[in-house]
Amino acid sequence: MSAIHLPSRQGNSRHSTTEPAWVRRSLIAIALLFIGAFLVVPLASVFAQAFAKGAGYYWQAITEPLAVASIKLTLLTAAVAVPLNCVFGVAAAWAIAKFEFRGKSLLLTAIDLPFSISPVISGLIYVLVFGGQGWLGLYRDADHPWFPWFQTWLNDHDIKIIYAVPGIILATIFVTFPFVARELIPLMQAQGRSEEEAARVLGASGWQTFWRVTLPNIKWGLLYGIILCNARAMGEFGAVSVVSGHIRGETNTIPLHVEVLYDGYDFAGAFAVASVLTFLALVTLAVKTWVEHKNAALNAATENS
Amino acid sequence: MSVEVRNLIKKFGNFTALDNVSLKVESGELVALLGPSGSGKTTLLRIIAGLEFPDNPEATVAYYGEDVTRVSASHRKAGFAFQHYALFRHMSVFENIAFGLRVRPAATRPSDAEIRQRVDKLLKLIQLEPLAKRFPSQLSGGQRQRVALARALAVEPKVLLLDEPFGALDAKVRKELRRWLRQLHDEIHITTLFVTHDQEEALEVADRVAILRDGRIEQIGTPEEIYDHPASPFVYDFLGNVNLFSGRVKDGGVVIGETEFELPGKTGEVNAAAVAFVRPHDIRITREPSGTKTFPARVIRSNAAGPVANLELARLDGGDSFTVQLSKELFQELQPKAGEQVYVELKNVRVFSDDYSI
Repeated sequence: MSAIHLPSRQGNSRHSTTEPAWVRRSLIAIALLFIGAFLVVPLASVFAQAFAKGAGYYWQAITEPLAVASIKLTLLTAAVAVPLNCVFGVAAAWAIAKFEFRGKSLLLTAIDLPFSISPVISGLIYVLVFGGQGWLGLYRDADHPWFPWFQTWLNDHDIKIIYAVPGIILATIFVTFPFVARELIPLMQAQGRSEEEAARVLGASGWQTFWRVTLPNIKWGLLYGIILCNARAMGEFGAVSVVSGHIRGETNTIPLHVEVLYDGYDFAGAFAVASVLTFLALVTLAVKTWVEHKNAALNAATENS
Repeated sequence: MSVEVRNLIKKFGNFTALDNVSLKVESGELVALLGPSGSGKTTLLRIIAGLEFPDNPEATVAYYGEDVTRVSASHRKAGFAFQHYALFRHMSVFENIAFGLRVRPAATRPSDAEIRQRVDKLLKLIQLEPLAKRFPSQLSGGQRQRVALARALAVEPKVLLLDEPFGALDAKVRKELRRWLRQLHDEIHITTLFVTHDQEEALEVADRVAILRDGRIEQIGTPEEIYDHPASPFVYDFLGNVNLFSGRVKDGGVVIGETEFELPGKTGEVNAAAVAFVRPHDIRITREPSGTKTFPARVIRSNAAGPVANLELARLDGGDSFTVQLSKELFQELQPKAGEQVYVELKNVRVFSDDYSI
């Protein structure tokens, strides 16, 4: 496809889709006003509030053991949930985009499930399944367990999922599951199967085809999905709140710790910890913008093909 | 025998793509699989490559006598060029061509120097040496197709399979490339099957042409054989423009209107309704009737643009319209105008049984 260069008309040329200046200016003004009032001002106030009692207090708020524990837990949760969802997402997208099978639309709907149900419900699901009164909890006290060794193992190791770290990680995985898959499915569908087929005919094994052909083609889309997934994994409140039990220093993630501080009228502390989360979000956003830029450049290159 | 397939059946849902197809291709032959869309030609090629598998257990695919029916595509050692090239978009031209060598297991993988040497040789063959570092998105369609061919040839395949190799190119590049393909084939003599829906391409390039229709091979033969002796009305129609005249078969001839024409290949049927097939360039036009061998017709339209002149005529008796191709000289001589009456003589008339309609 070759680009067609029309002679660009300089000067007072008006295109058919260009509105008068006053319309353009007022639309831009409305947009800026909205962004300012609803995004910039609150964001700035997070940092302003965080430093309300001075830098010393700020530093103390984010280095006290409970805050450090919550930061660690948030990073751990993201570190487990994101790679797992990366693998699940690629596998699901691969299956949906490249193969025909029964129940494909069902799988597609299932992937969207975490998007469509309230995070609180997501958390409750895990409480109902794994909680003390849930399936796993009752199983530990069951008179006739299906797998006695499993019951013994659960009791011996005193496995706790709800109100413990595993529950937080499970809930986070559930809530962030769609990000990678959703990002990759349209991309992989658009790319089709022929490059993989070409690789196969040329003698490449399944793994070689995946590493050398499939993965490089979805690299940027995957990275973008991972970033979105990571942002949500670190910021998730609802689902994690239900399964965590709010044990300070043990099962409090950053968002939960912020809530605890805020409820305790420690506004400066709450905002200080919140600013850490905000900072992490801003870093994520910066990386995302960079990836999008890269991605757009790459798409433009293939668009010309 | 370098490629032999037997009794292939392939269905996609309710659609039968291949209906018991058998085909033999001699070593070093260039065979075209020709047919309209949905005739099963691409499916046949993909089964030969190992990208699809036949539905029936008794079907076989053999390369040089070796049964490869259950062998996966990555172990068949076939070269395959896709209709839309399927070049690896994130690799340079060089790396695309080298791919088949680089993915070999360490024991059989050539050294980097050897790979470089072989890729350079192929780049020379496809005349794209200066573009080795380009990416597929920076190439024209014709260049991409040549890279795709070089990539397929790099692994020294036993057979070369090309799916509509020139389908996505414009007419001029297409003609150049198909001549280039024929030359290439004459140089390296690799057994080649290629799929096309363009009869001109098949007739020009191939040693033999297999015509497919509704998942069956309708006819297979050299281009001359199938063009001059089409086995069915379908083949007749598919290989070029053809006029149909309804008439009756009678005593080794065919009667159209009140005029009798000789039939070179006599049919046994006597006095039965029949449809006669005549190519537009096998029709002669005169200003005067010549005995009983001509019938009158009216000129509806004439168009002399291009290397030959095309006329559209209608029979005066019955009104069937048909097309005629005239050389420019004859057209100048006759100067037929719309509305004028002329006399028509048919040559090389073919008759197929009447219940066969196309």
